Amino acid sequence: MKKILLAGTIVMTALGIAEAREINVAQSSDIRSNVPGVNRDGNTDSVIFHLVEGLVGYTENGDVKPLLAESVAVSEDGLTYTFKLRDNVKFHNGAALTAEDVVWNWNRYMAEDTKWTCRADFDGSRAVKVTGIEATDVRTLTMKITAPSAVFLGLMARPECGYTGIISPKSIAADGTFIAPIGTGPFKWGEWKRGEYVRLIKFDDYVSPPNDGKPDGMVGSKRPLVDGVKFSAIPDASTVKAGLQSGALDAAEVSADLVAEFKDNAAVQLIMQRNNGKNLLYIQTRDPVLSKPGVRRAMAEALDLDQLVAAVSNGTGAVNPSMVSMDSIYYSDVQKKKITTDLEKAKADLAESGYNGEPITIIANKRGNVPSYPAAVVAQAMMQQVGLNVQIEVLDYATQVDRRRSGKYQVISQSVTPRLDPALMYSFYVGSKDKNASLMWDNPKAIELMESAYKEADQSKRQAIFDQFHELMLEDVPGIFLYDLIDIWGASKKLHGTPVWQSNVRVWEVSLDN
Amino acid sequence: MLKFILSRMLMAVPTIVIVAITVFTLIRLIPGDPAALMLGDLAEPQQVAALRSSLGLDQSIPVQFMIWAGNLFSGDFGKSIVTGEPVLHLVLSRFAISAQIVVLAVFIASLVAVPAGVIAAWKQNSLTDLALVGTATVLLSIPTFWLGLLLLLFFGLKLGWVPVLGYVSVTTDWKAGLIYMALPVATLFIHEMGVLIRMARASTLEVLRLDYITHARAKGLSEQAVLWRHAFKNAFGPTWTMIGLILGNLLGGIAVIETVFSIPGLGRLLVDSIFQRDYPVIQGCLLLVAFAYVLVNLMVDLLYPLFDPRVTAE
Repeated sequence: MKKILLAGTIVMTALGIAEAREINVAQSSDIRSNVPGVNRDGNTDSVIFHLVEGLVGYTENGDVKPLLAESVAVSEDGLTYTFKLRDNVKFHNGAALTAEDVVWNWNRYMAEDTKWTCRADFDGSRAVKVTGIEATDVRTLTMKITAPSAVFLGLMARPECGYTGIISPKSIAADGTFIAPIGTGPFKWGEWKRGEYVRLIKFDDYVSPPNDGKPDGMVGSKRPLVDGVKFSAIPDASTVKAGLQSGALDAAEVSADLVAEFKDNAAVQLIMQRNNGKNLLYIQTRDPVLSKPGVRRAMAEALDLDQLVAAVSNGTGAVNPSMVSMDSIYYSDVQKKKITTDLEKAKADLAESGYNGEPITIIANKRGNVPSYPAAVVAQAMMQQVGLNVQIEVLDYATQVDRRRSGKYQVISQSVTPRLDPALMYSFYVGSKDKNASLMWDNPKAIELMESAYKEADQSKRQAIFDQFHELMLEDVPGIFLYDLIDIWGASKKLHGTPVWQSNVRVWEVSLDN
Repeated sequence: MLKFILSRMLMAVPTIVIVAITVFTLIRLIPGDPAALMLGDLAEPQQVAALRSSLGLDQSIPVQFMIWAGNLFSGDFGKSIVTGEPVLHLVLSRFAISAQIVVLAVFIASLVAVPAGVIAAWKQNSLTDLALVGTATVLLSIPTFWLGLLLLLFFGLKLGWVPVLGYVSVTTDWKAGLIYMALPVATLFIHEMGVLIRMARASTLEVLRLDYITHARAKGLSEQAVLWRHAFKNAFGPTWTMIGLILGNLLGGIAVIETVFSIPGLGRLLVDSIFQRDYPVIQGCLLLVAFAYVLVNLMVDLLYPLFDPRVTAE
């Protein structure tokens, strides 16, 4: 038998496929397109992240700093932004970045035909209205907006917007079709085998923005330390696990139930990193039963958040009852306040609200990378203790999105992807339900506070707004926030560095031993 | 013969039309909006409505169907909502990948299983028969996803003989392609072999009981001649039909195998498209599956006279 195995190994080695050494990262699906900020999802954003850069980028703690820009100056009235570009930036085709390139990109993004995801954020229909952009010299440009905004730069840096990445006009063919992104990022476009993988190649001429030698969100040191990166589309979790164990994969997101197994694994290291995303119970405040604040409050009082979070996250998460991330510069002591577990008070609140055992359904999905279902199960058990008649309805994700968008739900066990500024996070939940049925909370005071947070640029004044907002949320209980999302990744022990940030793959400043 | 082929193709038309109408209607009755999924969390209701309108999803289902059916006649299967790729090219390229695996697996399974089934029938109630039937039953009972994972873990992870993930087309690099195909083909081969052994055994047993076999033996023909010249030819017909059905079924999608081995085949495309509510791709996949099923069974029928002279194409 041993001879057969040995012979097999020799034969297969002889036939073996020579593989170029690059970082091989698993993604749950193929990318949707290679056009920044257009037809995108999280996996697409991760690839684009390595190819393009915007004028500004987020730091680890949610601050916004220059990226392609060397400096950003805001006029006293807050209406004119002057960006001075770094002079050492080159596109992947070797051409130098100029202010005219930025103007061309902005006009392209704002053209209706481009179908940019974030166009509405800058044309005045949502947050900001940009009235003009102008290159004043080869390295300087100005942008004008109609009203002061605290989130203008932050909006531009979002992954969903393709980071408002600046690409060379050569990325577009003469007939207007998009060829491939020729950006300024640390990796350049290589090859896309649809349904299989995307390959990026190290950009040898890349120069990092000013830094202290460490990566810092989208800015900081961004050296490409490997020859390339391959984003492999592997939908099956078991295959991902086998890929990591065999060394075929260098890094991949894994589910929380693999934490115990990978903790002391000889070949695989475990990487756990908190991000700004949220896990919460999203409540329909217009539902006949849940429109009573007492019932919503009783639901929150029934939950032992410490136990729930420990169970659901396999010990990786920490309770955060706020919409503001624990890693944000705005995560103050006020944000830590939560509704404490009190079963007797919950029962009293239910009685006072006239609750008579009407069914309450929590919608959940069973996607492996989010705790939607386990959170619903644990919450159901805890809520039943106080007499809440809670049921769970498991749906596929597409149907869940449909139900949330139409407002036809009572409670959804929901995970929300990271938004680095608290005001942007608020916009996912807060606003008029008459205009947008998917929103969770339409308290006029909350809407007013959110709008103030959009405008106010002063950090201490914003802090006061966020704190007031949190207090109001604890009073009104439009949703129950559980904990910040955790990126749980497995990686080869040959890999050095952290290949994930805010749920995005990030492999600059990541190296691989031979 | 040509008349037979044409009449069979014409008979397939109502089947394809029924499949087209059913798929088109049912997929639109499932909750979930492709426009909302495409635009993501950020989208305002107006943006979703605008995208729905540009995709034609705001029209009534009958109107949408008529537009789609009209385009089909001019060879336009539409474009993927998610990637914008032309559907026909997309599904054909993915189908080619699935077909390589399926055809190879079924071919090898037939080569092994049919003689094994005949031998089991010939040696009925012997230890050989018991072993073959037992093996076939066990193989039949193992779910393919589990078998695939076991093979992956043993040959890929433990022994390191084959890559645990990835795919290389045999047309790009035949050597690498064969290595990457080894485990998915083996998984399908092992599973389908069980079905075919049992089928070949049952039909051979039936033939061996007939009078003309007794007559052949009485004439003094050797057992080998009786078995392969007289019994096998008549017994192979039902097995051949079964091979056709298996081929048709598997060509329709081996999504589980493709997911386990990360193969970008038709089955995985179909499953991904269902999750993303990519209507044109789902429709294209299922139409192709229905067409492949009809075509495979037509070919089975056309080849039937080769094995059973009593049957003619006419």
